[in-house]
Amino acid sequence: MNKGKRGTILIENVVFIILNLLFLSVLVLFLVNQGSGAIVLEQTYAKQIAMLVDSAQPLMLIKIDMAKGKKLAEKNGIDFNNVVSIDGNIVTVKLSEGKGYTYAFFNDVDVSAYADKNDKGDYTGLYILTINKKEEVTANE
Amino acid sequence: MNKRHKNQRFLICDFFPKNQRGTDKILSIYWFVILTLIAGGVFAMVYVFYGAPYDVRGIESEILAERIADCISSEGIIDSEFFVDGTFNTKISETFNAKCNFNFNVEEGYGDANEAQYFYEVEFYTPENIANSVFSFYYGNSNWKGDCFIKKENDKEYTNLAKCTEKRFYALSEEGNQYLIKILSVIGKSEKNVRQ
Repeated sequence: MNKGKRGTILIENVVFIILNLLFLSVLVLFLVNQGSGAIVLEQTYAKQIAMLVDSAQPLMLIKIDMAKGKKLAEKNGIDFNNVVSIDGNIVTVKLSEGKGYTYAFFNDVDVSAYADKNDKGDYTGLYILTINKKEEVTANE
Repeated sequence: MNKRHKNQRFLICDFFPKNQRGTDKILSIYWFVILTLIAGGVFAMVYVFYGAPYDVRGIESEILAERIADCISSEGIIDSEFFVDGTFNTKISETFNAKCNFNFNVEEGYGDANEAQYFYEVEFYTPENIANSVFSFYYGNSNWKGDCFIKKENDKEYTNLAKCTEKRFYALSEEGNQYLIKILSVIGKSEKNVRQ
């Protein structure tokens, strides 16, 4: 082996490696962004909540992990407490400026949704759904 | 050839090389063409995958069938509201949705706002004759029912059809008569569950 010979860094090899890394980074970023985009997450959460409410019984309390949604809502300037809204039997999830995504459930119950907070008053990333009979709410009112 | 000269040669694009180093450059160009093709393929696949809505109609129809079954019988005994003077109560279909807490209103976004997106049918059979029902009732858009009986050899061609769930179970009336109960639940909602 010729240990005395000086090593040289070929610029073309460096450029080639950098371009390859750049290409892979763009590809990975694209995949990550697509999977956690507002449109995809809004639809996922809305349908998930609708299915949970459909199969729920009155007096149930359901906790949903929406940490990804919280992160995205904060990034888009949306208060996490306003992400999920339920009007009658229609659930709307809004993670960005726009209409959000709506989906209907057929279980005719009274559902209220609110974001969970810790002792310090910060959002935990959980959403809580409380299921009640409609008649009971009317009687209380 | 000094290092500076080498670097200058790399930056000048020569598509007709006359030596071994040029061949390497051409290989790099091919490499990037292949990478671009791969990237195009990945982008296309991701677009197709995430662009299509999640189809939850199968789960929804299963939940609906379960809810109907829970509403008809509890612990294997058919609800007394299904019978009047020892025979089936024909008016049960009018009160069934309220009794089971069903609300079949849907949000905007479906083609015809007045078109119901749900259908269910309940049939009662005696064990002696499971070909003809002794009592049945249904609710919703009966046009969806036909979709359940289409033989789906290739699911991809039939994604726009409604999703169906059939559930069967035995239950007893309060008098102790045995019945086979068949429930068919169907969910339309293709606009929000299938790429149009």
